[in-house]
Amino acid sequence: MKNPLTNLNWKRRIALLALALGVIALFAGNPYRGGCVSLDTKELALMVQNERDHVSVEQLADWIIQGRTDFRLLDCRSEKEFNDYHIPTAESVPLAALNDYPVQRNERIILYSEGGIHASQAWFLLAALGYKHVYLLTGGLDEWRDKILFPAIPANTSAEQQAQFAKMKEVSRYFGGTPQSGAASDQAAVKKETPKMPVPSGSAPSVPSGSKKKKEGC
Amino acid sequence: MSAPFYKYGLFGDEISLVIAFLIGIGFGFFLERAGFGNARKLAAQFYFYDMTVFKVMFSAIVTAMIGLYYLSVLGFVDLSLVYVSPTFLLPQVVGGLILGVGFAVGGYCPGTSAVAAATGRLDGVVCLFGIVAGIFFFGEVFPAIETFYRATPMGSVTLPQLLGISYGLILFLVVLMALGGFLLAGWAEKKFAHLRPE
Repeated sequence: MKNPLTNLNWKRRIALLALALGVIALFAGNPYRGGCVSLDTKELALMVQNERDHVSVEQLADWIIQGRTDFRLLDCRSEKEFNDYHIPTAESVPLAALNDYPVQRNERIILYSEGGIHASQAWFLLAALGYKHVYLLTGGLDEWRDKILFPAIPANTSAEQQAQFAKMKEVSRYFGGTPQSGAASDQAAVKKETPKMPVPSGSAPSVPSGSKKKKEGC
Repeated sequence: MSAPFYKYGLFGDEISLVIAFLIGIGFGFFLERAGFGNARKLAAQFYFYDMTVFKVMFSAIVTAMIGLYYLSVLGFVDLSLVYVSPTFLLPQVVGGLILGVGFAVGGYCPGTSAVAAATGRLDGVVCLFGIVAGIFFFGEVFPAIETFYRATPMGSVTLPQLLGISYGLILFLVVLMALGGFLLAGWAEKKFAHLRPE
């Protein structure tokens, strides 16, 4: 007896194939990835060692001044600390809220906390969830204060360093900071006053959008 | 390596435009080959004597659906990163009806009007011009209709999420629907054959 399949024209064969794939799909499971992932710990470790996962405060300041929107800046501290001061354009995401926070796996995410411990813990959580482009702000908010808000310059410096400092002063003023001039830096350290929120900056419009997202997330 | 390639940063904006161009050319080519550059062929489906449009479109949907499903089950595509346009039920129903009227009157949908214009058909050019005028008109009245435009938002939902049933079952049902639809279309083409102008 002849194989019944050979009697069918190609249209019917395609229809039959579609039907078969449809039936298999009933049992093939969910295409969306669940919470279970596999981790390449060696690759993660290498990434950490090479500091490929770091963004410096100067770089971040540059990005914010340029008004770049191709990254999400997440503040991993408590909401109270966030309200006291945060880097412009940041969104408040306390660690416990991170799991349900609406960021996508392909987005460039920069994390920061006070010194960096919470941020690096958040980094691992996101890496474990399969996020590909997660970065840590080197030194966290501490370094942001030291280098961006209150940059200081040692007493005797080369002209090149002076020029660099002049630029940093501009950056600092942009973020509402107070540059510390050379000799007086010790006394000036007393009146280091963190700028009041909202920080007077060009990126002010994006701050409300960040806080709106926060409501969705938590 | 997994897709979507663009979202995983395999290439940037510039390359993505080149790729979009190539895909667009391919899309247009196959629309033309299916006979969709011809307004008579497209309008015929509203008289049921030639259901080619229905068959081609439904075949494309089923092929893409099966392909995406199996690729993602096998881990080649991350479906959660594939863009799903958000649903605004009421305005989209109204918009769909307006598009349908325009389709039946003009003989082209937006994509096929571009195909017809590209192959030098005058009615295609006119239709394309009308689309541009419509876009301009929409842009001008947008402030007045913005509330309605954003009415009944449902977010980026897919049928499995909305109905709470498994993705595989939806796929199976849509395949059944397509096969049933093809049989029905074949029957309709015979039944309404007398409407065919000859």
